[in-house]
Amino acid sequence: MTLPKTTQATGDARAAGTTVQTAPEPLITTLAQLHDYLYRGLRIEHATLPPYLTALYSLERERNSDAWHIIRVVAVEEMLHLTLVANVLNAVRGRPDLTKPGFVPRYPTALPDGEDDFLVHLRPFGEEAVDMFLEIERPRQAPAARHRVVEQQALPAEVGSSFGPESGVAGEALAAVPGQPGLKFYSIGEFYEEVISGINYLEDRARDRGKSIFTGDPARQVTQEYFYSGGGQIIPVTNRDTAVRALTLIAEQGEGLGGGIYDAEDELAHYYRFQQLKLGRYYQSGDEPGSPSGPRVSVDFRAAHPVKRDPRLRDYPKDSELRAAAVDFNEKYASFLTMLTEAYNGKPGVLLEAVWEMFRIRDTMSRLMRNPIPGQPGKNAGPTFELYPATRAETT
Amino acid sequence: MTFADSSDAVVFPYGAATETTPEDAADNEYDVVIVGGGMGGSIIADQLSLDGQRVLILEAGPGKDLELAGYESYLSRFFGAITKDNQSPYAFNPNARMPRSTDVMPVKPDTPEDDYYLVQTGPYSTDSTYTRVLGGTTMHWEAKALRMLPEDFSLSTLYGRGLNWPVSYDDLEPYYRQSERELGVSAEVEDQAYLGMHFPDGYVFPMHRMPLSYLDQVVAKGVDGMEVDLYGERYGLRVRSFPQARNGVPNAAYDGGNGYSPVGAVSTSQVREGERCQGNTNCVPLCPVQAKYHAGKTLAKALSRGNVDIVTQAVASEVHIDPATGRVTGITYKKYADSRSPRHTTHTADGTLYVLSANAIENARLMLASDLPSTSGLMGRNLMDHAYLLSWALLPEVAGTMRGTICTGGISDLRGGRFRRHQAGFAADIHNDGWGWATGSPYSDLLAIVDRQGKFGKDLRTTLADQISRQLLLAFMIEVLPEPGNRVTVSRDYKDALGNMKPVVSYQIPDYTKEGVVYARQFARDVFDRLGAEDCTVYRPDDPGRISYKGEDYAIRGGNHLAGTHIMGTAKSTSVVDHTQRSWDHENLYLVGGGSMPSVATSNISLTLAALAFRSARYIIKQLRAEKAPVYLSAR
Repeated sequence: MTLPKTTQATGDARAAGTTVQTAPEPLITTLAQLHDYLYRGLRIEHATLPPYLTALYSLERERNSDAWHIIRVVAVEEMLHLTLVANVLNAVRGRPDLTKPGFVPRYPTALPDGEDDFLVHLRPFGEEAVDMFLEIERPRQAPAARHRVVEQQALPAEVGSSFGPESGVAGEALAAVPGQPGLKFYSIGEFYEEVISGINYLEDRARDRGKSIFTGDPARQVTQEYFYSGGGQIIPVTNRDTAVRALTLIAEQGEGLGGGIYDAEDELAHYYRFQQLKLGRYYQSGDEPGSPSGPRVSVDFRAAHPVKRDPRLRDYPKDSELRAAAVDFNEKYASFLTMLTEAYNGKPGVLLEAVWEMFRIRDTMSRLMRNPIPGQPGKNAGPTFELYPATRAETT
Repeated sequence: MTFADSSDAVVFPYGAATETTPEDAADNEYDVVIVGGGMGGSIIADQLSLDGQRVLILEAGPGKDLELAGYESYLSRFFGAITKDNQSPYAFNPNARMPRSTDVMPVKPDTPEDDYYLVQTGPYSTDSTYTRVLGGTTMHWEAKALRMLPEDFSLSTLYGRGLNWPVSYDDLEPYYRQSERELGVSAEVEDQAYLGMHFPDGYVFPMHRMPLSYLDQVVAKGVDGMEVDLYGERYGLRVRSFPQARNGVPNAAYDGGNGYSPVGAVSTSQVREGERCQGNTNCVPLCPVQAKYHAGKTLAKALSRGNVDIVTQAVASEVHIDPATGRVTGITYKKYADSRSPRHTTHTADGTLYVLSANAIENARLMLASDLPSTSGLMGRNLMDHAYLLSWALLPEVAGTMRGTICTGGISDLRGGRFRRHQAGFAADIHNDGWGWATGSPYSDLLAIVDRQGKFGKDLRTTLADQISRQLLLAFMIEVLPEPGNRVTVSRDYKDALGNMKPVVSYQIPDYTKEGVVYARQFARDVFDRLGAEDCTVYRPDDPGRISYKGEDYAIRGGNHLAGTHIMGTAKSTSVVDHTQRSWDHENLYLVGGGSMPSVATSNISLTLAALAFRSARYIIKQLRAEKAPVYLSAR
């Protein structure tokens, strides 16, 4: 996920004809709205995990070690982002809930790409997957703060709801503007800019009354003992500064700091990590964007299990072992999200136990991906991430 | 624009292990030449490079950068190997062979030469090994990081046994702390302050202890509160966690509240892995994510500074001495291009000072091959290794065996005490990997259940899981005292592919240790009884490590804790090196590592070896500064 570095007006975006004049007043003016935005932030941060994990575990690791590690680091850092958003939500007395029906999107799902959207699919590792990852991590900045919100383009019918089109549950794009149907954020970065504006607005008002919005119980913060990501440290959030720092870290890890390839902690930004797979070399200290000069990256775009794109439970024959394994995966994934929710609600130690659950997720995923789907030549199974009763009902 | 810090602790400089040719090395002037890119050599190289000294490392093993793909190729070879011994990740390299536990045999004139590297003349044949690849034996170690007890440094004075050290626990204490930082040790002071081990006020280990496994807790139910009587004194026992050089949860109170950043996987690119142990229970030989320390983590830092070069696939073959002064004038080495061919070129490395850090057996082998037995005649003598006695049993209930790191807890209360006047002390490990070491479990269990019980399918899986998760293995690491007759020599009759003489080892288990063995076996039975466990221990008659004592037979495993071939002491006539690990005979030569230890005591040697290396680095720097200082000639 990326955030713009600074907000600067460049040219008149109204020429595009689709931008909407936003009011000078911030969109977030109540604590309840801030909670809602941060919940949406959790959803957005999480939404990249299924595609990254699908590509990661589809790899034939021994033939694609470099790609394996590049995707793995990014996936781990997305977990960091998820945890950082949870920390911010806890700091303002919110209650992170990753078990709410609809938390996990149905794939393909849409992420904003300026005026347009692009579709995020579950797909195996390959050139298309890497292009999609670059799309996810590419920085996009609205031409001006007032263009932060744009009209939602029509999405394909199957996109939007976590429950599938047949469920009758209306969907919403991941970056939709709460309470303003038909509008969405220009980019994920702009979404977080709006959250920061909201935090500033609310905290300023609270301070005027001698108060603060940061009254969450510090014991609910996930700290370094419980979360490590290698790149980028977890930030316990207790006030405005730490909240802004946490949200900014999310930005820098995507796109790099100040146009460079590294973030403030000398961590190679996600966009450039993925770009190494395209350019065939590792970046090293001192390199300019686009010109990595380090060791060769060896990548075999075909050395991956041919997992079917956006698989569904209904793709697997009823009563088959494959179907059972896919259901088993979804249950394990749901139980993983339950553990994360516990961890984010005052029991950070549960994160250490969740490590085993992650191994189970990996193993169950790998089992699915090694098996062809009956009647679909050349296509292997994959995890469906269909977690909610509505989707399950649709398949029985 | 910001750049990655070029001293990023885990980025191994691209090309550093392959770029320096012998010709480049000959063109450079080095302050210090180090033989061996293992833990000791890496620590000394790192310390010297921090001081701005020019260092050349000669490494016998394969010349690859420590990049992740290379490490993972070691892992794949290990995963695919049928025999999963310590050396199974490493391709056979006739040019720098290593002992393998699968090659243990007494070597006789008709033993085929290709069957062994270590020439064992008996009476006891050890399966001890050391690893000759970049990173040395840290590429297979288990990473227990125990300090020695204060009493271990003066065994002779206290108990009339063994030898005293020329340094004390207090002398080494600051270096122990430095080593605990470098290796990244996870432990709690409250667990480790026993039998006199002490720490400065307020000290905490870099990371919190690895949690005791469920198996440890099951054993603790029987052991905690148990008391034993030894020679009229009572010893209370408890299951205690072991300090480990393995990444755990950082202790926020470390370093006066600055905390500690665990050092993860080393590679030529930023990989960010291994900053926490994941509990793979696959610690030996290699941690799949490099959460376990290996010398590459130190080497990567040293090589990044620009004043350390390394020539790999360079096997030191002779140390040259100026007969007039005794000073080393150079070290000859054989550089091979390909491990599949003995073709090589011969070169000599020059420096002001020289450090041999090739492990206890190889250091002695090289000195003896150079005809340098030392004035004391003790070069190669007093070879020590821990004698491991294994005892195994089946617990009455499922105890979660195979979970956790390979060993998290054990019984350490009998490491020291007055009983050491009479018998060896020991530390007992509770092995979370079940009977693997003793019986080849779980593979052997699988074969037995299929072949002998005829089970298959779900029944097979259930039986296997039930059996393995009830396995308890106690491994007793028993002290061995220095005996001059236990020794490494060389012989022109035994040479490797490059024409270097192989080490010839003659060794026996001393009676003092055997007394400890007898006691340990009975102790294991007592513990099994208290736990209601069924003793399944069987020592096979054809076991190469078999010994008999007082009417009973045992099998003794090697500990890979090789020590004592160039012991340190206070006099040239009774020791090979002084308290700084400097050779008494050759003032510009340091022999470092386990070989300098006058006793192997009851701790895994690595932490002490690291502490000694840090300490020696200080003296080496001091000597270098003195030798490089301008000399003023007086006309008086």
